[in-house]
Amino acid sequence: MSLVLILNLIWQISTLALVALGLAIVFGKLRIMNMAHGEFVMIGAYAPVITASLGLPGWLQLPVCILTVALVAFVLERSVIRHLYGRMFDSLLATWGIAILLREGVELIFGRGYQSVSPPIAGTVTILGADYPAYRIAVIAGIAVGFAVLAWWNRRSKVATRIKAMVGNPELAQAVGINTARLSAGAFVFGCCTAGLAGLVLAPTIRIEPMMGLDYLIRAFFALVVGGLGSLEGLAIGAGIIAGTQSLLGALASQTYGYLAVLTLSILFLWLKPDGIRPSSR
Amino acid sequence: MTTLLEIDGLTGGYRDTNVIFDLTTRIAPGKVMGVFGRNGVGKTTLARLVQGSLLPAEGMITLAGAEITFRPAYERRALGIGYMPQTAMVFDDLTVRENLSLGQTGHAPDLYFERFPRLAERLDQLAGTMSGGERKILAFVRAMIEDTQLIVLDEPSEGVQPENIDHMAACITERAASGAGVMLCEQNLSFLTGISDHYLGLDAGSVVLDKARDKATQDEIRAILTL
Repeated sequence: MSLVLILNLIWQISTLALVALGLAIVFGKLRIMNMAHGEFVMIGAYAPVITASLGLPGWLQLPVCILTVALVAFVLERSVIRHLYGRMFDSLLATWGIAILLREGVELIFGRGYQSVSPPIAGTVTILGADYPAYRIAVIAGIAVGFAVLAWWNRRSKVATRIKAMVGNPELAQAVGINTARLSAGAFVFGCCTAGLAGLVLAPTIRIEPMMGLDYLIRAFFALVVGGLGSLEGLAIGAGIIAGTQSLLGALASQTYGYLAVLTLSILFLWLKPDGIRPSSR
Repeated sequence: MTTLLEIDGLTGGYRDTNVIFDLTTRIAPGKVMGVFGRNGVGKTTLARLVQGSLLPAEGMITLAGAEITFRPAYERRALGIGYMPQTAMVFDDLTVRENLSLGQTGHAPDLYFERFPRLAERLDQLAGTMSGGERKILAFVRAMIEDTQLIVLDEPSEGVQPENIDHMAACITERAASGAGVMLCEQNLSFLTGISDHYLGLDAGSVVLDKARDKATQDEIRAILTL
């Protein structure tokens, strides 16, 4: 197996883990079946387009991405999502409608056509004799550091403990002074922002268009089905299996076989191991 | 007499079904009110109405002069109401240490570890893996160490060993002596009568006895339990 293939595999796994992270928070912790998750990836991917159309410098892409996604997520949480916590099926229907609205809204502003953006880091780096895009290496390293920080935060921070308390026993959480409505809103917005961030880092490597979110939503769901809800380890394992299988088969056979294998794996897990490999909430 | 908790004409329950009817009573600072009655008379509902996880249909609740009738539970906690529920009383997925660390703590847990050493031995164990009695003790200590002026305890002695019930009684008496009011909803009559300064007997959601300890007789109390 060539080094470039391995690096591509790591790229696919790390970006899928980042895409699925927000879904793991919103679906795994808040029990909101967020069918609009892919649309937040899409909005994040449009951030460089928004930044350019406003005539802003390129280094503002990240703040523009976070602010745009956070604003949309906050408005949705206050108007729709906050009434649906714990109502998984209702949240599925509502967020499906929201996804359509977001796609149509973006199409209205930017049109249906593809957009493309250049990576902020140009050129390649040579690793063990193989040339690989420097931008992808930087993103992989950033995601690895981000997940390490998140894992540490998840074990040490008081906010993380409060989120776990709220998920496990919302009534008692209120009794110990936790404002569960505010905490849920914060977790929802944070989850959507990570999806937007995933869209932003993926933007220079894909064709940006209003319908792009669905594919990311499906693969993120598959990663959570396989890895299990509620733990970063499960998320990493799920992303590794789904992205790994798809990339390997895509490279060795064809993309169709890759999709077929991922779909089969997910069905088998739903059937034989519905809680995934790491079902624990810790 | 100074009043800490004032309940006036309280009616409430679950959705359209009221369980408590036109209930009026007072709790003074530093006093323990023992709430008793047969199963299903509304002790837990009263505790939840005071704590805020249920909101009343009618009536008014005042804490230290501030009306809290429709305040959510987390705001009541900030105002000084601690609560130990009868069921689902701990965070199963958190360790003992994390359970104790939640909320604003005002009293060091070490003092309670002397009475309940099993907790100190299991600080890093998940609360959900503990026995029912141990979880009760954990929930009790969590409620005790919080910096609150009113502590609502719902059946704290249920499933707990007699020796530990004695320790619970000592802890409640000490918190009351330091100025906290306590609403103790209990089925265990000897535990309740051992530490209560005031009795509130309930039947079918209404008050049938509201007397100071020295005014109520054991026969009156037992009669309510056999109504």
